[in-house]
Amino acid sequence: MNFAAPLLLSLKLSLVTTILLFIVGIPFGYWLVFSRIRWKFIIESIISLPLVLPPTVLGFYLLLVIGGNGIIGRWYDTIFNKTLAFSFEGLVLGSCLYSLPFAVQPFQASFAAVDRKLIEASWSLGRSKLYTFIRIILPLSRHGIITGCVLSFAHTMGEFGVVLMIGGNIPGVTRVASVAIYDEVQSLNYGTANICAAILLLFSFAVLAVVYFVNRRFIRTL
Amino acid sequence: MFKVNLKKTWNNFTIKVDFEIPLGKVTALFGHSGAGKSSILRIISGLEIADEGMISDGKELWYDSTKQIHLPVQRRSIGFVFQDPSLFPHLTVEKNILYGVKGKRSLNEIKDLISLAGLSGYERFYPAQLSGGQKQRVTLIRALVRRPDLLLLDEPFSALDWEARRQLQEDLKRIIKQLNVTTLYVTHDITEVYKLADKVVVLESGKVLRHGTPEDIFMGKRLSTRIQIVGKVVGIESDSIMAAVTIMHEDQYFKALVDAEEIERLNLVVGDDVVIGAKSSDVIIFKVLTQF
Repeated sequence: MNFAAPLLLSLKLSLVTTILLFIVGIPFGYWLVFSRIRWKFIIESIISLPLVLPPTVLGFYLLLVIGGNGIIGRWYDTIFNKTLAFSFEGLVLGSCLYSLPFAVQPFQASFAAVDRKLIEASWSLGRSKLYTFIRIILPLSRHGIITGCVLSFAHTMGEFGVVLMIGGNIPGVTRVASVAIYDEVQSLNYGTANICAAILLLFSFAVLAVVYFVNRRFIRTL
Repeated sequence: MFKVNLKKTWNNFTIKVDFEIPLGKVTALFGHSGAGKSSILRIISGLEIADEGMISDGKELWYDSTKQIHLPVQRRSIGFVFQDPSLFPHLTVEKNILYGVKGKRSLNEIKDLISLAGLSGYERFYPAQLSGGQKQRVTLIRALVRRPDLLLLDEPFSALDWEARRQLQEDLKRIIKQLNVTTLYVTHDITEVYKLADKVVVLESGKVLRHGTPEDIFMGKRLSTRIQIVGKVVGIESDSIMAAVTIMHEDQYFKALVDAEEIERLNLVVGDDVVIGAKSSDVIIFKVLTQF
């Protein structure tokens, strides 16, 4: 079996998901830290749901929403004239929701860890909240931002349940590395499954090791 | 003249003050811990909002509860130096100093300020490479480089050791006088008040107790003494008639012999801040002879 295609698809899915979660997660994390809205805890609970929810439950409800009869599925079909479920775009949506806490929580924690005095010092020097965020909060939160991105990437690489529920197993479209390994095991091809699993394991370890090494260097320079 | 009239209530603590800050002078906000000094500074800066009252710089209203005016901190012309150095750790000294500068500012002017604070040669250093005193100097210059209408200092030397504190007090006095910047200075150190302030506002439990010159407030006009040494009592030895009170002023010890009754009347104990005063008629002065 050619394992390159599912691995590349997993990489593509992880990369797109990480970029989207970075774009969405940063303002979201900031809002969670600095907003004084009382019902913030409800949003926090919703974001954290994927941490405790079985992936099949999340996948099932997602399938209902993005399927042909679901609200988002119908809307997507009308605009783009194709189905969202069992497509790469559907996988991206599912992955983003599934990995959301892995991005937002480290972002949130690192923003909250920035000394409030530094933020107030920036404001008292006449700088706006946006300028303060870009020049002070973001650079001082590098550690958390890198961690959030790495976790999102790694989590998406290893995603299985949600992907299978909303994407199925379409070669070249939705068959990601973890699903391909499952396929091999189902077909009793343990040798191939072992090679695929080992590649995924080594790749994931290498990515994490490199990023954490770089992260440590970043922290030392602060 | 800055005018401050504000009221703010937390759970079981209320601040209600009304005082003025003369332009070009140093006003000390003096009081013990928990008197509300720092909170007043934060409200004036705009970092916190009062429940009611008015803050004005003499030309513009910064806050007026009746007119629903609340200028955000970014729009108030202030320089704020916090208790702990609040330097941005990822920026060099130079970048920290220039952080709040908008538009063009002559390089010479900035160099002069850096030199005035004794920081020449440290421009490329990061805050972690500086001593506590140097950090506070950078914070001070960073606040001043914007040419604020009001400089707010919240016990800026409290985290420093005695030597660094003494040096910085001198530097601060020199810099403030040279730049003629209106300053509101929070402290609970009576020596600092004497050294730096033109006016002192005494706070207790969120209320203004008294205000005036340091001499008026701490000694009373009736004494009109010519010699004044401010310091902390470090020792009291007394018998039934006389008492020897040792005070520490900066790095020097002074001993004063006073009536033992006076010690009892004042309920003086070690650790109290005191002023030793003497009338000019009581002072003798003589030149030390070097040739006989």
